[in-house]
Amino acid sequence: MKHTQSIMGMASLAWRGMRRRPTRSALVLAGVAVAVFLFCTVDTMRSAVERATQKSAGETALIVYRQNRFCPFTSQLPQSYENAIGKIPGVASVTPVKIVVSNCRASLDVVTFRGVPPQEFAATHSGSASAQDMQSWLSRGDSALIGRELAQRRRLKAGDRFTAAGVDAFVAGIIESDLPQDQSSAFVHLAFLQEQAKRGGTGGVVTQFDVRVKDPAQMDAVAQAIDERFAKDQSPTTTRAETAHVARAATDVIVLVGFAQALGIAALVAVFALVANAIVLSMRSREKEISVLQTLGFRGIHLAILVLLEALMLGGVGGLIGAGASYAVVALARTAMTMEGVSIAVAPSLAIALIGVAIAIALSVLAGIVPAIIAARQTIVAGFRS
Amino acid sequence: MQTTNASTDPHGQRDIIVCNNLEKHYSRGGETVRVLESINLTLTRGAFVALMGPSGSGKTTLLNLFAGIDRPTAGALHVDGQDLTQLSRAQLAQWRATSVGYVFQLYHLVPVLTAYENVELPLYLHELSRAERHARVSEALESVGIADRHAHYPRQLSGGQEQRVAIARAIVTRPALLLADEPTGDLDRVAAASIMQLLSKLHRERGQTIVMVTHDSSTATHAQRLVNLDKGQLVEDMAVRV
Repeated sequence: MKHTQSIMGMASLAWRGMRRRPTRSALVLAGVAVAVFLFCTVDTMRSAVERATQKSAGETALIVYRQNRFCPFTSQLPQSYENAIGKIPGVASVTPVKIVVSNCRASLDVVTFRGVPPQEFAATHSGSASAQDMQSWLSRGDSALIGRELAQRRRLKAGDRFTAAGVDAFVAGIIESDLPQDQSSAFVHLAFLQEQAKRGGTGGVVTQFDVRVKDPAQMDAVAQAIDERFAKDQSPTTTRAETAHVARAATDVIVLVGFAQALGIAALVAVFALVANAIVLSMRSREKEISVLQTLGFRGIHLAILVLLEALMLGGVGGLIGAGASYAVVALARTAMTMEGVSIAVAPSLAIALIGVAIAIALSVLAGIVPAIIAARQTIVAGFRS
Repeated sequence: MQTTNASTDPHGQRDIIVCNNLEKHYSRGGETVRVLESINLTLTRGAFVALMGPSGSGKTTLLNLFAGIDRPTAGALHVDGQDLTQLSRAQLAQWRATSVGYVFQLYHLVPVLTAYENVELPLYLHELSRAERHARVSEALESVGIADRHAHYPRQLSGGQEQRVAIARAIVTRPALLLADEPTGDLDRVAAASIMQLLSKLHRERGQTIVMVTHDSSTATHAQRLVNLDKGQLVEDMAVRV
């Protein structure tokens, strides 16, 4: 009980020590919070990219794209390829998709129209939207089913009309999906989008084919077979796994996120320096107080705990503020990084927030170790002479 | 001049401080400064002793040795039955927590704690319940006449009031020995007299052993015994009143 009591006393003293100099503490807390905010936000983006580009063992989705084309505007494939692809052994299903984007470059606010065959889409996405919304979408040629992220970003609801990328559509409903591509897209009838886009004639041209294979182990073989089938054709193709397709499109973003991650780690080093500086200054101005505590009977270990608790509080509170702010901003912004028509949804992560707080605490405690040792080893008389 | 022969029984109940040939040297710039030389002194339990002497005579150093916050260079020192020269740093701290109360000239209260919390601070080192701590703190604040200021921070108190809180903090653990380093040195005449009356009361009513450093002869008249130091040596030891 005695040890618990003495640590309680030290905790109270540490907390009040932090409040003793509100300006200094506020500045340190703000510094820690900003650094942790930066780290958590960047890591959330890194995590989103990783999730979208990491190939899983059970992956069955292939994207057939026009060879050497990197934007939906330039990838034009004859819709007639659908039948040829469907006949290749190992292919389970083929969906021709016309994509129109409001911005082909990397951006946080891109509207991606995906023109799909209505009946096929209704069959594969029956659970994604309410029956009423799906019926409304099927019955109206200019209607769109909007992904949840896009709907929240553009504040759209069923019954609205919206225009983007030169396409004017009626919102039939909102669809729910875990797939980033679905969350950030507006699904419209293929023929409608082909007509609206007016590129390469009115109809018969699509941007890509979404292919499902029967066996995940056959992904590479099927992709190779598709590309070989059209190699000598007027529109040769490049077929990749969906995650590889996203990774290729997101190459620039991956490089940027990697760079930003280095900045995030640098920010954490700043946390270490900030807290260490604050603790050293605080202890230097409290040498007499430490001697008084020693005179009262507090031992070196108590004083070390006092210093470490103060560091922990600075790191913990600052970390909580920074991680909380990052979580809130990401949750409210509901951003999707879109490049070349491929979307990576950035979703808030409680795990990353907790990791951010834990790292801030760990670094702060680490920063407090040397000052803690100095405080614990200070002699009483020397402290009073200071 | 009257000198005192040191007791040979360090654990005797009667004697609270026994020092034999106590020495304290510092090394400064390659030169040895002899702050205390061959101090032989025995103080009885329940005594009120004033340590006097000019600046640099070694009286505060001697008080610090009694408090276990500094270590002698040579000699023997027993306080409250404990050979302080044999204790480790941690053992000394533990011993201080239970056996000694220390009052500083400049009070040295923790500025971010209230008067109540300052007095409560040393009790965190004792196995006491919250209720027991509260009772002890209340009693200590009551006995120094500052209970009505318990929620005030040091900056909200006068010097005399701060020193009262410091005395409450020193006695709240019920130490065998109360040491005071010029407890009135930073106070005006009225506040100083009030503090000395308080220390006298503690001595009279509780039988508290008090060793006080002072350079003020009028302050020293409250003590029963006067020990004079000069240039690190004990030059006078006499009873002031019986």
